[in-house]
Amino acid sequence: MTAQIHTFPRSPVTVAVRPLATRFSLRLRPGHRETGEAALGLPLPHRIGRISVEGGRQALCLGPDEWQLDAPEAEADAIRAALPGSLPHALVEVTDREVTFVLEGPGVLDLLSIGIARDLSRLEIGRGARTVFDGVQAVLVREAGERFTLSVWRSFAPHVEELLHRGARELALGL
Amino acid sequence: MLLIHCPYCDETLPEPEFAYAGEAHIARPADPMALTDEEWRDFLFIRSNPRGTHYERWRHVHGCGRFFNAIRDTVSDKFAMTYRAGEPRPNLDALKEAAE
Amino acid sequence: MTQPFRIPGRGRVDQSRPVQFTFDGRTVTGCLGDTVASALLANGIHLMGRSFKYHRPRGVVSAGSEEPNALVGTSRGPGRFEPNTRATMQEIWDELRVESQNRWPGLAFDIGAINDRFGRFLPAGFYYKTFMWPRSFWDKVYEPFIRAAAGLGRSPTEPDPDLYASRNLHCEVLVVGAGPAGLAAALAAGRSGASVVLVDEQSAMGGTLLSEPDVRIDGQGAWDWLAATLAELRSLPSVRLMTRTTAIGYYHQNMVGLCQRVTDHLASPPEGAPRERLWRVRAGQVVLAQGAIEKPLVFDGNDRPGVMLAGAAQTFLHRFGVKVGDRAVVVTSHDSAWHTAFDLARAGVRVPAIVDVRAQVPPDLAARARSLGIEVLASHTVTGTTGRLRVASVMVNPVRGDRVGPWRGIDCDALLMCGGWTPSLHLFSHTKGSLAWDAQAGAFLPDRKTEDCEIAGAGRGLWGIAAALEDGAKAGTAAAKALGRVAGVGTFAVEDDRTGSGVVVKELPTDRDASLAKAFIDFQNDVTAKDIRLAVREGMRSIEHVKRYTTNGMATDQGKLSNINGLMIAADALGKEAPQVGLTTFRPPYAPTTFGALAGYHRGSHFEVTRKTPIDAWAESRGAVFEPVALWRRARYFPQGAEDMRAAVARECRAVRTAVGLFDASTLGKIEVMGPDAATFLERMYTNPWAKLQPGRCRYGLLLGEDGFIRDDGVIGRLTADKFHVTTTTGGAARVLNMMEDYLQTEWPDLDVWLTSTTEAWAVAAVQGPNARKLLEPLVEGLDLSDAAFPHMAVAECTVAGFPARLFRVSFTGELGFEINVPARHGLALWEKLWQAGQSHGITAYGTETMHVLRAEKGFILVGQDTDGTVTPGDAGLDWAIGKQKKDFVGKRSLQRPDIVAKGRKQLVGLLTEDPREVLEEGAQIVADPHQPVPMTMIGHVTSSYWSEALGRSIAMALVEGGRDREGQTLHIPMPGRTLRAKVTGTAFVDPEGQRLKV
Repeated sequence: MTAQIHTFPRSPVTVAVRPLATRFSLRLRPGHRETGEAALGLPLPHRIGRISVEGGRQALCLGPDEWQLDAPEAEADAIRAALPGSLPHALVEVTDREVTFVLEGPGVLDLLSIGIARDLSRLEIGRGARTVFDGVQAVLVREAGERFTLSVWRSFAPHVEELLHRGARELALGL
Repeated sequence: MLLIHCPYCDETLPEPEFAYAGEAHIARPADPMALTDEEWRDFLFIRSNPRGTHYERWRHVHGCGRFFNAIRDTVSDKFAMTYRAGEPRPNLDALKEAAE
Repeated sequence: MTQPFRIPGRGRVDQSRPVQFTFDGRTVTGCLGDTVASALLANGIHLMGRSFKYHRPRGVVSAGSEEPNALVGTSRGPGRFEPNTRATMQEIWDELRVESQNRWPGLAFDIGAINDRFGRFLPAGFYYKTFMWPRSFWDKVYEPFIRAAAGLGRSPTEPDPDLYASRNLHCEVLVVGAGPAGLAAALAAGRSGASVVLVDEQSAMGGTLLSEPDVRIDGQGAWDWLAATLAELRSLPSVRLMTRTTAIGYYHQNMVGLCQRVTDHLASPPEGAPRERLWRVRAGQVVLAQGAIEKPLVFDGNDRPGVMLAGAAQTFLHRFGVKVGDRAVVVTSHDSAWHTAFDLARAGVRVPAIVDVRAQVPPDLAARARSLGIEVLASHTVTGTTGRLRVASVMVNPVRGDRVGPWRGIDCDALLMCGGWTPSLHLFSHTKGSLAWDAQAGAFLPDRKTEDCEIAGAGRGLWGIAAALEDGAKAGTAAAKALGRVAGVGTFAVEDDRTGSGVVVKELPTDRDASLAKAFIDFQNDVTAKDIRLAVREGMRSIEHVKRYTTNGMATDQGKLSNINGLMIAADALGKEAPQVGLTTFRPPYAPTTFGALAGYHRGSHFEVTRKTPIDAWAESRGAVFEPVALWRRARYFPQGAEDMRAAVARECRAVRTAVGLFDASTLGKIEVMGPDAATFLERMYTNPWAKLQPGRCRYGLLLGEDGFIRDDGVIGRLTADKFHVTTTTGGAARVLNMMEDYLQTEWPDLDVWLTSTTEAWAVAAVQGPNARKLLEPLVEGLDLSDAAFPHMAVAECTVAGFPARLFRVSFTGELGFEINVPARHGLALWEKLWQAGQSHGITAYGTETMHVLRAEKGFILVGQDTDGTVTPGDAGLDWAIGKQKKDFVGKRSLQRPDIVAKGRKQLVGLLTEDPREVLEEGAQIVADPHQPVPMTMIGHVTSSYWSEALGRSIAMALVEGGRDREGQTLHIPMPGRTLRAKVTGTAFVDPEGQRLKV
């Protein structure tokens, strides 16, 4: 998918689609976390919502035994081969399941508040969460004070995108 | 819209992330085939439905995905506490006394 | 028009900026900042509408959102008509069109006013009594008549073209109401550093201060203090001020719903701007500073235009620079109206008299009145008014003990009443906080709280600006401290404050026949004092019953003015004290709220999510007709030329049975079940055996609930020893995953297996038909597709058309078939390559309708269509799918429950109509004997029914009691006007031996 950027004059927030590299869902028991870290060469945070980064690889802890792994496409095969068969785990590629939006600008918290009931001012920079945007399950990451990514399943993306654009236009009006 | 404390995320979050999942502490029998019809009926269908303190299950379905347990008042809708699946049923009276 | 009642230099409107709007077609000039009500009053127009039941002429009563009378229709442009807009809330702008309601042919002369003359025949409970007989008259005569005559305003006829928005908002302190108490609370909380949201439903903040400019606070005039305070609040970065924003509901855990009117006050709102925005505010602490609402007095003729609340007259004077008349008489039971009289007198209005029902009035007020030339009539009552479309005089009588003396008339063009004040505790009541009667205040006051909130100012029965400021500051400080903030208590020096008190009264004493009096309690619903007394005489004891019998408090203002008066009179009639009778329940919304605000963004194409597959665009470009399946839209059939559905489906069916068809199966739910215990887990979940299924093979899986009834089904492929590709029904995907997670997490947490939804990771194209292999073979790399190497129910990973794929040899049609899963991004490209390659093999795209026909011809069930949550595997003829050696699986024990093993359960059978051209209706009921009397004993219903192109006749499936034992019998399907006959058969209509799969 190619990146499309829509901006509006005076818009306090921009909405873009970020092309995905490779994304996996990794599941293993918390007790096996260190084995997984060693095999992947990437720390696996044990607190839900925390993110670790090593080289081009990133792990976001979504549940007690669940991580979202992002990596460059070139490393996909290496990741598939990294975890030993003796380690009970599930590694499932979900790259094609997801569409990721990048939302950036001073109005980004207001824009997200259209669809998310959580208090996002409390989400620290560099952390993420699985939550709901306008009834659609989404994974949110705060990359910077005014930049978030919002990932939703593919078929929900048009609904979410339409609302994000409407919200961005509404914010640009300043009413 | 209630606020619910997820014992796995250790955060208090809005209700749309959660789904109700029925009464808590009803374990599936280890060997269902050994049960009488009446015992199996009770497991399937009979629920306490109290007015007041209710032990119930919720799932943080749009969050960490975990099922967990809660104590909630069915009159006021207020949660007394939530705790992880598999933990024993807390004694609410003891908790209240400890709090006082 | 010259606005003869506007006082130059007074008020907060911009008198240099005229605004022209129309009222009933006539141009009216007001000022920037006016409401419709204030602009009409500035022009001497009091008559603004007709009442609901008696069509009595009515004028404005209040100056706020509690207005019951001055309801108008407003047009803000094409499609933007709104009935029942409160004239006291709608701000004017050039070209706004306003019309009065409930009048025909005109406002001044209205035919419906005949009801007023016959009012004695329209008492409380009138509908329940009068229209009971004869019964046959109800549909044809009574109801149409009532519907034509009743109603408030007219409904809009066009779709609403406006946009509506919604947001979530989080703050530490939410303050509702920006009068003195709310401002002081916001200041205290804001200065502590807390994040504060301060809302007010008016266009300007200030509340009472806007109507009392002569009070001095901290050495400044009230309005200077207000301006300085608002400037300070605005300068605090954590404080947000919201005007034109009504708190409509107070919900669990300090969530408050706000409705913000964003553009209704703008002449030309910017393109794309929402009309209203609903805010869901979650606050750590809530301060309710909503003030109090003035009560009318109850006397004959208290609804005549020109009779209004004294506080409203004061607001029109100070805030809008409008005098409500030239000669204003005041009638009151509370000190506050005396100040109104003084302010009006000083503004040049003649005030002939102040009538006070109390025997003792404060001597300083009486002295001041006399100094202004106002006659003081203490211990007096009002027994009537005169005037047709506007009050012309008031009848005033002395009261000595229980005796009402002779009346005398006083000419006036305005009568200002005050029956005291009702603390506005609607939001507090939404939280189930309890109220307690306070005899001192003569009001219900907040008692037990259920939420983290503070009530401040007049809401606690306090009176006067100083008390409100002090109480608000205390509440704001308490809220900040409860949040762990350090907050000091602000103090305020107030001069020229207007403190005071009053008494609570029922209807005013009169010397005239009470049965002839039209003393209104609920203006909007035309409920009078005698209606309440009649309801009590006729046996109503609970205040909730009195309310419903009389409709008191049931209009759009929800009894804001009428509640306490209704209660006092009902209590008197019942011989009880007010607290023993109690209040009716307040429910959200606090003020009328548009459906648009509640719907927010969810209308039109955004009403709900529409999920589309990666191949959807191709189907759309080929003119597919779509149908919704769960949240998905799926191509139902692909009509060519002028084909109808039946012709298109017949053609698509022929193509699949004779050549090859292409079907988008991407919506099927997919779950990757992975881990060393994957097979063990599936053994426990599904009825079928999985342990011995070899990698590279698939099996049909049947999922039951613990109650033994069918929940879902689908093909499951074993990719490796520890990895399964599970498919579910389209609608069941989320439900099945949730059910599996439930068992895995809470019953079998020891299993090393994990579930990942891959529904959207894959796009799926089904290639079905005798030519399927011929089409596919040249496109597949790394796999031998021959029947021997890749038999029916095989699965493999390979490359198809250059894309990495999971290839299943499966068939939901009974034909040779393959389902190709490729990463979703390649779905459309794969589809187009298959389409291209298939041209020489007679490829035809088919939709869900054809898929349904083809599977029905084979007797394959659709979960949710042929099953309904009460169907067991045995009922559906699926006993073969149960692993007989398995000791346990979800639902197994229930298959031995007495009800499940009982004879005579409904079983799935085939039905062939006697007339092969007759296609039964799905859902039609089935009987054994068509000649039995009605109501007949129904023994089942049709679940699936189609025209079978392969057989050249109709086919159907049905759930029928003891169905399989009836095979060969003829059953009857009664339809309107005729009864159809059909023979019971097996469910496999085409190729029951499955020979067509073995190629």
